[in-house]
Amino acid sequence: MNSNTQLAPDLKLIAPWHLRAFPNREWILVVVLLFECAIFSLSGDNFLTRSNAFEITRLSVEVGLLALALTPVIITGGIDLSVGSMMGLSAVVLGSLWRDGHWPMSLAIFAVLVLGLIGGALNGLLIARIGLPPLIVTLGTFSLFRGIAEGLTRGIENYSGFPPNFLFLGQGYLGHLVPTQLVVLIVGIVICAWYLHRTAFGRTLYAIGQSPEGSRYAGIPVGRNLFAVYLSSGLAASISAVIYVAHLGQAKSDAGTGFELMAITAVVLGGASIFGGRGTVLGTVLGLFAIVVLQNGLRLSRQPAELAGILTGGLLLITLVLNRLATFAGGQSRVNTGAEELDVRNSQVAVLSGVILLAALVVAGSNWLLVRSIQHGPQNERPINSSSKSNHRIQVAMMPKAKGDPYFVSCRLGAEEAAKELGIDLLWDGPTDLDPAKQNEVVEAWITKGVDVIAVSVENQAGISTVLRKAREKGIKVLTWDADAERNARDFLINQATPQGIGYTLTDEAARILGNKGEFAVITASLSAANQNEWIKFIRARLAEKYPDLKLVTVQPSEGDRDRAFSETQTVLKVYPNVKLIMAIAAPAVPGAAEAVKQAGRTDVKVTGLSLPNMNKPYVKDGVVESIVLWNTTDLGYLTVYAAQALISGQLKQGDHELVAGRLGKIEVVDDEVRLGAPFIFNKENIDRFDF
Amino acid sequence: MNRHSFISRNKRELSVALSYLVLLVLVALLAPTFFHPANLRDLAVNNASVLIVACGMTLVILTGEIDISVGSQFAICTYAAGLLAKSGLPLVVLILTVVLIGAVMGAVGGLLVARLGIPSIVATLALMVIWRDALRWGSEGAWIQGLPQNFQWFGLGQTYGEVLVVVAALIVFAAIAWSLHRLGAGRFFYAVGSDAEAARLAGIDSQFVKHNAFVIMGALTGLAALLNAIRFSIVPGNAGIGLELKAIAAVVVGGTAITGGRGTVTGTLIGVALLGTIGPALTFVGINSFWEKAIQGTIILAAVVSDVLMTRLSTRRQYRLAN
Repeated sequence: MNSNTQLAPDLKLIAPWHLRAFPNREWILVVVLLFECAIFSLSGDNFLTRSNAFEITRLSVEVGLLALALTPVIITGGIDLSVGSMMGLSAVVLGSLWRDGHWPMSLAIFAVLVLGLIGGALNGLLIARIGLPPLIVTLGTFSLFRGIAEGLTRGIENYSGFPPNFLFLGQGYLGHLVPTQLVVLIVGIVICAWYLHRTAFGRTLYAIGQSPEGSRYAGIPVGRNLFAVYLSSGLAASISAVIYVAHLGQAKSDAGTGFELMAITAVVLGGASIFGGRGTVLGTVLGLFAIVVLQNGLRLSRQPAELAGILTGGLLLITLVLNRLATFAGGQSRVNTGAEELDVRNSQVAVLSGVILLAALVVAGSNWLLVRSIQHGPQNERPINSSSKSNHRIQVAMMPKAKGDPYFVSCRLGAEEAAKELGIDLLWDGPTDLDPAKQNEVVEAWITKGVDVIAVSVENQAGISTVLRKAREKGIKVLTWDADAERNARDFLINQATPQGIGYTLTDEAARILGNKGEFAVITASLSAANQNEWIKFIRARLAEKYPDLKLVTVQPSEGDRDRAFSETQTVLKVYPNVKLIMAIAAPAVPGAAEAVKQAGRTDVKVTGLSLPNMNKPYVKDGVVESIVLWNTTDLGYLTVYAAQALISGQLKQGDHELVAGRLGKIEVVDDEVRLGAPFIFNKENIDRFDF
Repeated sequence: MNRHSFISRNKRELSVALSYLVLLVLVALLAPTFFHPANLRDLAVNNASVLIVACGMTLVILTGEIDISVGSQFAICTYAAGLLAKSGLPLVVLILTVVLIGAVMGAVGGLLVARLGIPSIVATLALMVIWRDALRWGSEGAWIQGLPQNFQWFGLGQTYGEVLVVVAALIVFAAIAWSLHRLGAGRFFYAVGSDAEAARLAGIDSQFVKHNAFVIMGALTGLAALLNAIRFSIVPGNAGIGLELKAIAAVVVGGTAITGGRGTVTGTLIGVALLGTIGPALTFVGINSFWEKAIQGTIILAAVVSDVLMTRLSTRRQYRLAN
């Protein structure tokens, strides 16, 4: 149906240059990219700099490799949803072989690549041999690979401390400018483009995508070629995982979560037809950069991360609709031959001109709002490390672990209150989903943007420390709050409570409620959540040390979902009838557990845990939730911004013992920690005094 | 041949039912307390909204399309239900509005897929991100509290409320099962999914049927979101994470062909039950929940592989018989 877009050799002789260079209308994306660059160079700080250009490419390598491997897959009319999960599996296998198996790094990498091939072979076998639909097969292996990764590590294991020469692969620069892994991406692009566009094998993939049956009759080994395609996609996933591990400096079972969707988006945005038979490597690369530049530009223009998702989705839909309309227009006249060739081209040119105009309008329209809001904003563009600090308002960039989490929403209130009092520009941005690499990307963007202070609530300690150290090298002050990075990666930690303090307080509270003996169960966030695992470790330690008659019988995941916490609690209550206390240690899990206990009518069971007062008020008043343990999160945000200001103005330095923070008064400083105070226990008596 | 017709006609559903039975027997041997009435009731209530969404998904998949934006639609409908309930709308208006919101979101997907001819997996992928991020942007993760008394269980109390939720899901299931097999409009879904072009030549408006599948899917998602929301007294800012995969997996395990044109909601019902049982069953049996995802993946793969092998076996037998 799209045969005109793949040029037959003889057509090449008469095809105009723009059809030869862009056989699949990729130039629309070039226009989009140029527009993005034009808009963001106006609205973003330091967007059009050489270092930013290379930083953008660094961030796109992992997804880029997946997208390259998915291009042939999609051209054959298939899909591979399992690549992100394969990354997770490869990452933990790499980590365990190197750390626990004491394999040399090179051998471990080799083994992981073989693992990728095995995973790809499994997909290929089921799809090419048995003839199952790719969507379903890879949906199954999507769960399977991630499940094995979680099962092997029990979700907890986080491998880090990799040798520097390995980390160089993901963090280093060639000639102080070019990120190392960019070389891998370029090699990948060249190989992929060569095979797809310059070999007979590549041409057969298009034929298979057009019609597998027809290809078989034409003598193409359809099964074998399909097998090879899925094999290479498994291999690409494991290569991508190696780079990912080197980039973040850590290997965990959640590596690459959601990467498959980004890769597919890039490929489809690049003009590949999901039905098969159409697509180019050039298109994929342009599609990839269109997305990555959009995300990077929005960050530098201090727009919320959610907008990037909405615009990416919108861009994808608009490109598809326009492409579709253009194909309709071209397709109807394609049946005619010879004399009307000129008409065809004219009508196509007309449609394409319309497409550019529309795309331009869309991009311009969506960005017009941006530019306006930025121009009306308080800050102006300024260079990195400007020497005249007195002239501009201090920019403090603050990152939560997850933006939508009610815990962090309440922190933000305090942070904004403090920023207003001090006349500081506060940037608040962070991941909207559970992708562990997202925090690094945001910090990279802030370094490029040239903020004064970066304050991070750290999700992945080993992963983010390298990039925080880089920020400090560039003269940016770094704070951590809520959860710490490695000590030499930040100036101060705003410490609301140590993991030990939280674990011990929770255990003591459990002991108080249960009268020092009995069984209890823990509902955690996800099984791979780093913080929660740390707390559980200290809960167990406290039990062993002080409460021999108190027993933790099971730990169940809630995935940060209230409804999941609800059903897990129901099950726990039935399987462990002696459990008299549910300890939920994720904010949404406490109300979920409370509702389950309430609906089960188990008045003998109490709920406690770590959560926010507001969402638990009804349950605390009912008496279902006995107490919740937390610090004042609004104060935590407030204190962080005050500490940032004090750090810039020199009021806070190593060796200080106290810090005066607005309405909080004097706050204790110990070594390199600013301490908010001990965790607080909210109960029926005091909970009404708090509103967050 | 007539003697075998029931078995051969329903062999996919029967094979899933058989695997489910094996699972239940295993659980019965290892953890008999699983079959306590209270547990079965909780399982039914917890999976009611998944069943409704999966029924809608069956329709979409029968026409040869797919909708991966249902999780995000579910989140928006949940949030909308909370907002509307708080504004004090009468119950009937609330229900209709939430279902309508779902239907409108479904219609957007239907428009893109059926009218503009965009591949459904890509169109709904884009919508999934758009809906979810729009909600995150709008709600900033805030939960809705202070809902009126008659929100939880529609003010019926827990016992009747639970009955209502389960019965509503079963009615949806029965209605779709009946109309798919007994109504002309129901057969259209099969016709379009088997061969959209042939259906068009036979006088069926294929695009209209596909569009309708998406609208029904959206409306059912709205209903499911509402029935799920009323089980609680607070509405979270972000619900339905991973729901699309749950629904699709249930449909596929239930024997519906992902390529369209073949499958039943009865199979989907068994699929929902099977996948909904595994998680709690693992806890009952005492297997660590770390392995849950791996087991789910294996079941999906096993279901499709056995499906294909069985089809091959039966065609070979027919071939032998013919010769």
